[in-house]
Amino acid sequence: MSTVTVPRTRPERLRVALSDALTMTRRNLRYWWRSPEEFVGALAFPLISVLLFGYVFGSAMVVPGGADYKEYLLPGLFGMTMVFGLVNTVAAVVTDRARGVTDRFLTMPVATSSILAGRASADVVRAMADLVVLIGCGYLVGWRWHEGTAAALAAVGLLLLLRFALIWVGIYVGLVLRSPDAASVLYPLVLPFAMVANTFVPPSLMPGWLGAVAEANPMSATVAATRELFGNPAVPGGSWMTEHALALAIAWPLLLLVVFAPLAVRQYRRARH
Amino acid sequence: MSTLTLAARDSRTMLRRNMRRWVRYPAMTVQLIGIPVIFLLMFAYVFGATLGAGLGGPAGDRGDYINYLVPGIILMTVSASVQGTAISVAMDMHEGIIARFRTMAISRGAVLTGHVIGSFLQTLVGLAIVIGVSLLIGFRTNGNVAEWAAAIGLICPFSIALTWLAVAFGLKAKSVETASNLPTLLVLLPFLGSGFVPADSLPAGMSWFAEYQPFSPVIETVRGLLLGTEIGSNAVLALAWTAAIGIAGYLWALRLFRRPPVR
Repeated sequence: MSTVTVPRTRPERLRVALSDALTMTRRNLRYWWRSPEEFVGALAFPLISVLLFGYVFGSAMVVPGGADYKEYLLPGLFGMTMVFGLVNTVAAVVTDRARGVTDRFLTMPVATSSILAGRASADVVRAMADLVVLIGCGYLVGWRWHEGTAAALAAVGLLLLLRFALIWVGIYVGLVLRSPDAASVLYPLVLPFAMVANTFVPPSLMPGWLGAVAEANPMSATVAATRELFGNPAVPGGSWMTEHALALAIAWPLLLLVVFAPLAVRQYRRARH
Repeated sequence: MSTLTLAARDSRTMLRRNMRRWVRYPAMTVQLIGIPVIFLLMFAYVFGATLGAGLGGPAGDRGDYINYLVPGIILMTVSASVQGTAISVAMDMHEGIIARFRTMAISRGAVLTGHVIGSFLQTLVGLAIVIGVSLLIGFRTNGNVAEWAAAIGLICPFSIALTWLAVAFGLKAKSVETASNLPTLLVLLPFLGSGFVPADSLPAGMSWFAEYQPFSPVIETVRGLLLGTEIGSNAVLALAWTAAIGIAGYLWALRLFRRPPVR
């Protein structure tokens, strides 16, 4: 009969937790590797948006200040892809639960934090892959960054920070929703969140009340900050939120993390009982 | 009882089964009807001023752009609904229920007919909601009762034609997950036509494609009937495309359905 050795010291516990988290990350990444159509499907909407808004509607789109619309558009699509990642996280968590995988994990001597950290880190790796593909497509359609590599990496960092915060929202929502059927309704709910922002057009061109909602959208802060860091055109004469986009692009995700990471952990622990 | 009467009765039973599925799995119905409404609101309020100003001509401001937009959204509603048909047909194929039906004394065509009529009714519900929301946000038509009837008389056969094509897509799909891939192209066609911006405002190659693809003449005919814009030869082209898609979809679906099941 095999026995499980319980780690006693704090460093030992940390080492085991990290090892478990790495195993969980590998498991989640292997799942995507074996079903690449899911990865392609998740990127379909942003890639179609590049073509639709870059070419089909691009000629009819007017950015105040007369900037090139594609230059304005691409950072918005990067942000939108990070937001749509939320749906993938929810779907993965709900599917694991529906298939009994979550219950199986709960019976194993694995820390809750390791299971959730594995999910979060795998989703961040996937978000990086999404961004690599989108930035490549951006280059193909004529988008460029103009502020040097360090600023561009900082912009990517902000996008990944938003995605990381939304992963915890996704884990929590995925644990609350019981059926995959309910999870599929999320897409029409996330779509307005991604579009009522400065993704495609400046909020100043929307009706007053909608423009205010778009300005306050956490995604707008990230998109405005990445436009600034990439050196892409921003709309002149913005509001207080636009002026402080960089600070808000850090503050909003941190706020989401502070609220939803503990909620996700608590919800997962509740599943144990 | 005649063969035709039995087939009609079996089709009615299959229709009831499909409608019960809507009630038990409302998520897909909400999604298929919800997304066109979301796109209507997004394009009207988020992009309306920009596209209205950028296009000039038929879409001078947000109000004018809403009028220009609605016929495109109506056709998008039709194409979004048929995506659900492909998925539900694929579900039936891969869950083994079709194999079960094959062993029963029911009309072969009734299974598919039930799907088509069910999808068509779902499309009508979606269209009613989309037109209702359009009127609420400021869509104003100068079409009379006869013109509205003509527009509906064109949309309905086009919807049935696309549904038969979607049934064929569903039968052809290798899995339920991939069943929505081919119909997604149908959802994209209103965007790549004159649904959201005039075809002549598109880049050269795309403008040519937009002019000759099946959705553009239907959209332009509906737009002409509801808004009084010029229809020209679009009505004839729309009817020709409807007939071609309907016949091709129907024959393809029947051929795929009659194949012996793979063991």
